[in-house]
This record gives sequence, C-alpha cells and structure tokens, in this order.
Amino acid sequence: MKRVVMLLFIALATVVSAQSSSKSTQIPRTIDGKPDFSGIWDNPKPPNARGPATVFDRTKFPPFKAGGEAFYEPRTGDPRHDEPRAFCMPSGFPSAFLGPYPVQMIQNAKYLVMITEFMRVTRIIPLDGRPHQADVEPTFYGDPVGRWDGDTLVIDTTHFKRWSLDDYYYTNPKEYRMHSDAFHTVERLTRVEAGTIKYDFTVDDPKIFTKPWTENWEFKLHPEWEKTGLYEMVCNENNRCPGGQCAKP
Amino acid sequence: MRQIALLVALLVAVPAFAHHSAIAEYDLEKPIKVTGTVTRIEWTNPHIWFYVDVKNPDGTVTNWGFSGAPPGVLQRRGIGRSSMKPGDQVVVQGFRAKDGSSNGSGDTVTFPDGRRVFTAMEGLGQQR
Repeated sequence: MKRVVMLLFIALATVVSAQSSSKSTQIPRTIDGKPDFSGIWDNPKPPNARGPATVFDRTKFPPFKAGGEAFYEPRTGDPRHDEPRAFCMPSGFPSAFLGPYPVQMIQNAKYLVMITEFMRVTRIIPLDGRPHQADVEPTFYGDPVGRWDGDTLVIDTTHFKRWSLDDYYYTNPKEYRMHSDAFHTVERLTRVEAGTIKYDFTVDDPKIFTKPWTENWEFKLHPEWEKTGLYEMVCNENNRCPGGQCAKP
Repeated sequence: MRQIALLVALLVAVPAFAHHSAIAEYDLEKPIKVTGTVTRIEWTNPHIWFYVDVKNPDGTVTNWGFSGAPPGVLQRRGIGRSSMKPGDQVVVQGFRAKDGSSNGSGDTVTFPDGRRVFTAMEGLGQQR
C-alpha cells in the first residue's frame, strides 16, 4: 500500500513539474518560431496592480544630474502649456500606452505593430535588428527598433521631442514630469505564459538622471475583447471644453 | 433585468477615462448636483455628453451639459447609448466647468429607482 501511495505521489509530481516547465514552451509562436505577441492586452502595469493609468514609481528615480531639475516643468496657468492633451495634442510615448485602454499587438516576421485604443496611436516596430535611422527628426513617439534576445523581444526607442513622461500630474498637478530630448527607452517583452507578457521598461535620460532605471510591468491578455476589438477614439470629434472653455451646446 | 444588474455592478468601480485630467476642464472646488430631465445624448469621443433640463428656483429652465467617459470605455463595460434616454429623470453629480457655464463633469447619474450610471471618476484628478 505504501508503495502504491509513493508511486502515485511520484506520478503526480511529474505531471505538476511537466505542466510548470511547459508554461513557457506553450506560448503561441509565429511561423518562424518567434514568440507571437498578437492579441488584445490590458495596458501595462505592475503585477496585481489596478487603477486608471500606470505611472513611473518615483522611489526608483536615480539622482538628478546638474540641470536635471528641468524634469519638473513649472506650471504657468496657461492650459495650452499645462495640459496640451486637453487640446488634442499627442500624449507621446510611453504615456499614450500607459493609460487605461487596451493595447492590440499584431505581429509578423518583419514587424510588431502596437496599437492603443487611446486615440488609436500606433507604433510599428521593425524586428530585423536594424540600427536607428541617422538624422531622424525627433517625434512624440520616437524611433523604435526591435531585435530578438532568445525569446525576449528588445525594443530600443530614441529620437524623442521633449514631452511629458507620464500622467503623474493627473493626481499631483504640481508635478509635471518632462523627459528631455535625450530620452531613450528599452523595452524587454517576454511572453512568460499564454496570458502574460513580462514587460521590463528601462528609462534612460542622460540629460536628467545619473543612470537608467527599470520598471517591471506586465501585460495581461484579454481574449474577451477580441469580439469588439478596439473602439474608435477620435479626439476632435466632440472636444467641447478644451482647457475649461466650453462650446455652446 | 440584465441591464439593471449590469448597471448596479458598475457602481463598484467605473473609472471614466477621458483624454485629460479633471483639473484641465473642471473646477474641483465647485461640486454640483442637479435634478432634471435628460434632453439629448451625444455618444461621441473623446467623451459622451448628455444634456439635462433643470428647473431653476425662478421657474426658468437651464439646459446643462455633462461629460462622461469615452463611449468605448462604457461599451466595454456593457453600457450603451440606450442606457440613458431623453425623458429620463436623473440626478447628476459632478464638477462645474472652469468657465462657469452650465456645463460640468457627469460623474454620477442616479435614476429614481436608485440605479447609478456613468460614474466618471475613480478619484479626483484621474480623469484622462
């Protein structure tokens, strides 16, 4: 009897172990064998977090360099300066992708396309390991390039305009965080299981901070959102009160 | 019945996310609460808007405009444009527009039977 129990225990342990080790091998893959991130995901956030928008954790900020205080842009009282998004200006990266809207990813061998429902902002990320383009004009969303590090996709983005880093000012309007035009991000995406992408996000802003720092976020898959897909979001359709000045009904 | 259950469930937490912070458009020092009749719904981005006729103490009527969450956010939670109709009696709570006009954020809408919908903010300043 003892022996039977022991054999059952070993069999059970083997099954559990096999299930655990196969988690990472059972992720969807593209035809060329790379992890496939296609799907509709919730916005990235720390594990088990909830809440409207993901913001950077200030406790992780490294010390400023000399002049790094420019990170905190003073408020002027002019809504066009203080919150250009209220006038349908862009959020920029990463802010647009951190808000509480789904992010759809579509992938083939050449590109990963990331679309957030928020204003349908789209990033098209080449996956062939190419270098950044030379002499690219700075933009709100930067110049992203991708390469594979085993089963991890590494996205390196540079060439940004100086713009707001995140939505922290929604909860603390006195602190308006602005990254510099030297802003550089490195994202590492690993689909650790079918429903989860581990998303390590490194901020490197050498005009502001003495060293880079990393947030450890994750994307969670929402297959139930596939039925409707992303909804349309057009800022200029009926933006009735930009900056607090309302149009007549 | 299913719709009522859904709407009640939304009372738990329905953060509404616009494309800007609440302080960009609304005066958080001026909370408002009005009772009236829905006259029109604009099921549009970046916010839905709904309008309510409110009777003033002097007998005149003011048509107030209130913004709610983006339509996609509401639809994903099962709220469609028919969840509120012209003619519905409602109590609306929110914050007045910064320009002092008869506009505001429609943070909660309460129907005579106690149902509430279109709760627009999870916390002050978190509208997006």
